[in-house]
Formats: sequence, structure tokens, C-alpha cells
Amino acid sequence: MTESTGAPLDASASGGAPAGRTRAPAGEFAFACFCAAVGAYAIIGAGFIRVPPGSASVLGPRVFPYSVGALLLVASLVVVVQLARGRRGLPEDGEDVDPDAPTDWRTVGLLVLCFATQLVLIEFAGWPFAVTVLFGGAALALGAKRWWAALLIGLGLGLVTQLVFGAWLGLSLPSGPLLDWIPIFHG
Amino acid sequence: MDSLNALLEGFATALQPQYLLYALFGVFVGTAVGVLPGIGPAMTVALLLPLTYSLDPTGALIVFAGIYYGGMYGGSTTSILLNTPGESASIVTALEGNRMAKAGRGAAALATAALGSFVAGTVATLGLTFLAPGISKLAVQLGPADYFALIVVAFLTVGALLGSSVPRGLVSLGLGLMLGLVGTEVLSGQQRYTLGVPSLADGIDVVIIAVGLFALGETLYVASRLRHGPVRVIPVTGGWRGWMTRRDWSRSWRPWLRGTAIGFPIGTIPAGGADVATFLSYATERRLAKGNARAEFGRGAIEGVAGPEAANNAAAAGVLVPLLTLGLPTTATAAIIISAFQSYGIRPGPMLFENQSGLVWALIASLYIGNVMLLVLNLPLVGMWVKVLRIPRPYLYAGILAFAGLGAYALHFNVFDTLALLVVGIAGFLMRRYGYPVAPMVVGGILGPMAEEQLRKSMAISQGDPAYLVHSPFAIAAYATLAAIIVVGLWLKRRRARLEASAPEPITASLPAWEDEPR
Repeated sequence: MTESTGAPLDASASGGAPAGRTRAPAGEFAFACFCAAVGAYAIIGAGFIRVPPGSASVLGPRVFPYSVGALLLVASLVVVVQLARGRRGLPEDGEDVDPDAPTDWRTVGLLVLCFATQLVLIEFAGWPFAVTVLFGGAALALGAKRWWAALLIGLGLGLVTQLVFGAWLGLSLPSGPLLDWIPIFHG
Repeated sequence: MDSLNALLEGFATALQPQYLLYALFGVFVGTAVGVLPGIGPAMTVALLLPLTYSLDPTGALIVFAGIYYGGMYGGSTTSILLNTPGESASIVTALEGNRMAKAGRGAAALATAALGSFVAGTVATLGLTFLAPGISKLAVQLGPADYFALIVVAFLTVGALLGSSVPRGLVSLGLGLMLGLVGTEVLSGQQRYTLGVPSLADGIDVVIIAVGLFALGETLYVASRLRHGPVRVIPVTGGWRGWMTRRDWSRSWRPWLRGTAIGFPIGTIPAGGADVATFLSYATERRLAKGNARAEFGRGAIEGVAGPEAANNAAAAGVLVPLLTLGLPTTATAAIIISAFQSYGIRPGPMLFENQSGLVWALIASLYIGNVMLLVLNLPLVGMWVKVLRIPRPYLYAGILAFAGLGAYALHFNVFDTLALLVVGIAGFLMRRYGYPVAPMVVGGILGPMAEEQLRKSMAISQGDPAYLVHSPFAIAAYATLAAIIVVGLWLKRRRARLEASAPEPITASLPAWEDEPR
């Protein structure tokens, strides 16, 4: 739609990119291509949406998906072309972000892993212990110095949220087999 | 003076003890998380959405309004006091305020920021009070085609103006629209993009998109490039009563008012929210400064804190005008507040002032009250916020992850939502890493289904004639404005880029003596 107006505003033009980031933008390419693939999937998938017979309504359930897919596909392809011409994206700033640090994939992976434990632990071990693992693991991955402090704070946070949101505000957070016998946690 | 009466009734509601407590809780939490680096108001509101599952609508919206205003106040404390070398000039307050703090005038910077926020917040809330009912009366007459035009305006301005690259903004918007498509389509009951997964048939909740992008995605991104070592905070000395000298006052009040005048109108139009307003105010103050004050710009000029801070808060209030009268979110935070409304089955828009007038006016009254509370919270209690600023980062971000998990799981008490959150969070991380703005994705996820509904309604009315979309003067005006907004917005962005490029280097060694300068 308005992609053509984008050219002069990119990272290289605004002059804010830190110097010395010359690694090949393979990941950036991959992500842009992934977005283009999602767009293509949206277009192809739109063709498979069943249009109920008889409902000759003017605008069926397919039209909007087609246009969303087209927008996504075209915009992603423009990004890919810009990347090929050497125009990189400008990573976001933040107070806690070190602009000169390289991406620390190990920490990111560990955090994703810690968060993924929730998928299993919430229902098997209960909310308080799932939080203990998530909080403790994440704090350690981020460089907390004392492991026992991280785990204790995590346990405290888990119990407090269980009491506030589960017992007091009435959300049905599972307290888990270890705590279920205590009346206040049983809710 | 209908709205005055309604406002008084709103005050009568909002001044009830339990709502005062909700407001206090909101502004307190809002300031705390505003102070914490990395957590903006969007993330805060997203993380606290579980509250809406158990509070009544008035209470929950008062809490969110408090968080919204509080986050704006708290942010300035961070940028003034946090000593993070190398940070770009993305936050204007950091430009001058941080340098004032380094020169030992942090107290004055904090005071002018807080007072400016108060002045701007109050004046802009007044503007909201008198503008909103009128606009909503006009908006009642709008048809589906007009709404569709408005939503397209919001899409394209948010997509094209947020972030540094137009195609990246549109990709982000497209991803959000795509997530909004998943689920059972309302009119014909067909499933779309559900991959046969039953949990996806209900669609992807906006909370998942917001919390995933803002809490999980942000945390992963910060973790990938975390600034290690102790948190360095510039100390503030002296009691708060002597913070601003008479000279500081006389140099501040005009920038406050100018900032308000710049910020409020920009907030009301969908032009990229507060960022543009603060930069415009900063540029104005720099141009208007005379004599010694001009020389101070770049080394800690109080005008450069007072104006942008006021503009920031005025724009935040301005954003509420299209939100409440048209149901149109123009920033990510506004989009999340809309989803809070929706979780109560309340639809913001022109009918809101008719159907839910008690709720709306209580909300507006609580904005006035929240502003007063924020002034009290911020000035004398700054020492406490400085302590908050020192929370060790590993614990801070681990805590954010825990609350993100709570927000997702508490939606349906089903770990499938946790999984969806993780996927959206990883996408949010990659988007930040590769320079895609995330706000258009949230706006797309919320407005996408509304856009489709209005489009199909108008097509049903016109029996398939696309010319119906531009049949009304309002729709034509909206599309014309869209063109104008994009042109002006791109011009503003280019200006801002130039300003960033020309921002003078910090000079901390040879600071001039301000105190005895004649004006």
C-alpha cells in the first residue's frame, strides 16, 4: 500500500546504527522470509476457508484474509529487498540494554526453557512450585549471584501470588499435590 | 453544562473510599513500574489484566487509568536518574534531564518534570472532559463505512509511523492482523487458520498478544543484551522543598504550557503517540530559548525537561479522546485498555457516553484525582523510587516472567495459552532484535476483527458496491486526513532523525555556573 514511501527512513539513513555491526544478517533475512511465508500461508489458507453454501453474502469469510496475507507478503518482501541492498533494521534501545553487547543466545535459550517448564509444572507440581522454578531459573540465567536467594524469592512469590490471586481474588490456580491439603490453598 | 453535571457525578463515584483506594493502587503501581527500566505502561497494563477477572468494571478501569498516568510520571524519574552511558537520545527527557542530574541539579529536573506532568495532565484532562462528549455525539451518526475508514487510518498511521522503517511497521501490523484472524469467524461460523487445534477455535486472546510482546518479548530481548554490573543511579541531594528555585519556576511554566498545547492535539490524532509530541516540544523549546538558556541546551537546560515532559503527559491524555469516543486505540497501551473494556463486554465508542455514562465519568474523574495523587507520590517520595530503580536486574526480569506466566494461564486455566504466549514472546524478541516495532502488531490484533466486521457490514448494506466505502463526506475526509497525517508524520520523523543526529555531545567537564546568571 504505502511501502514505496519507506525508503529514506531506514536505519542506515537515520544514522543511529552503532558502527561495527557488520555481521551477515542471516537471522534478519530468515525472519523476514518467515514473515513472508506467513503471508503466503495466509493467502493459500484463505482459499481453503469454507464458504457456507447459500449464504451468498456479498463479502464472504475469505476476502479479509486474502488482503491481510497480501499486505504481510508484500511488506515482508520489501524488507527482504531492503536487506539485500544492505539496509539493516535498527535494534530497539532500552535502559537496561547494552548497545554494544552481542546477542547472548545462551541466556535467551535458557529463559525460553525456564518458561517452557510452566507447560508441565503448573498442572503437575502446582502454581507455587512452577513459579519457583521459573523465577529461580530465570534469575540464575540472568546472572543472580546467590542461587538459594533466587529460589527462596521465587517460592515466596509463588506462595504470595497463589494466596492473592488464587485464595483472595478467586482465580483457580492449581496449588499442586504438595499444598492442596492446606485449607487456605485449597481455596 | 451537561457534561459538568455528569463529571460531578463521576467525582461522587470516584471519591468513594474503595475507588480512591483503587486509584491510589493504580498510580502507585504505575509509578513503580514506570520507574523500573524496561517496563512501560503497555507492559504494566498487560501484566495486570488478570485483575479484570475479579474487579468490577469501574474499579478495574480506575486502576488502569492510574497505571496509565503513573507510568508516564515514573518514566521521567528513570531517564533523569539512571546513569546509562551510550543510550541514544530516544528519550528526550534523558537528553537534558540526565545532564542536569549529572551537574548536581537532578532535584530541579525531577521537580519540573513532576510539576509539568501535573499541569499538563490536568489541563489535558480538562480538554478531554469538554471535547469527548461532543465528539461522541458526532460519532453516533457514523456508519460502518465511516468506521472502516477510521480503522484504516489508525492501521496505516500506527503501522507507518511507529518505528524507524515503514515496511517493518507494516509487517508488524500484518502479523497482528493475522493473529486476529485465527479462530471462528463470527458471521458465517467458519474456522480460519485454526490448524485443527480446538483451543485455537476461540481465537488468540489479545492478552496473549500484548503480554507476549511486551512482557516476554521485551524480557528476552533485554536478556540477550543485558547491561551487567551494578545499577548506577545519580544521587539526589537536599530536601524536596528547596528543589526548584524561583528562577527554575520562571523558566519552567511557559514550557509546561507550550508542551501541553503541543502534546494534547498530537495525542488525539493517530500520529504515533507521545514520542512525536515530546520531540516536537523539545525542538520548540530549543528554538525559543534565548541567551544563556540556549547555550545550556545539550548540557542540561531545564526548559528541555519541562516542555517534553508536559507534552508527553498531555499526549497520553489526548490518546484517551479517540479511545473513549470512537473506540479507536492509537497506541499499544490504548489497545490493551480496549481489551480490558472488552473483557467486560463493554465496547468503547460513541455509545459509551450514552450507555455507560456513569462508568466513563467516574473514569475521567479518577484521572483528575490520580493526577493529584501522582504529584504527592512523586515529589516527596522520590527517595523510595530511587530504591526501586536499584532492584537487581536478574530478579526484576525473573519477576516479570512469572507475572507474564500468571497472566496467560489465568485466561482459561489452560497451559495452551502459556504455549501461545511463549510463541508470541519469541516472535516479539525477534522483532525487537531486528528492528520491527511491536506496537502495530498489538493494534492490528485488536482492530483487525473490528475492521473486518465494519467492512462486511458496509458491503452488506451496499450489496457489494465498493463505492459505498467512500460515499459519505466523513469517510472521504478520513481518507484525505490519512494522506495528510502520513505526510506530516513522515516529515516529523525525519525532523526527529535530524535532531537526533545533531544532538550535541554531552559536555560534563566545563559546566557553566547557572545560578548567578542574569536573565
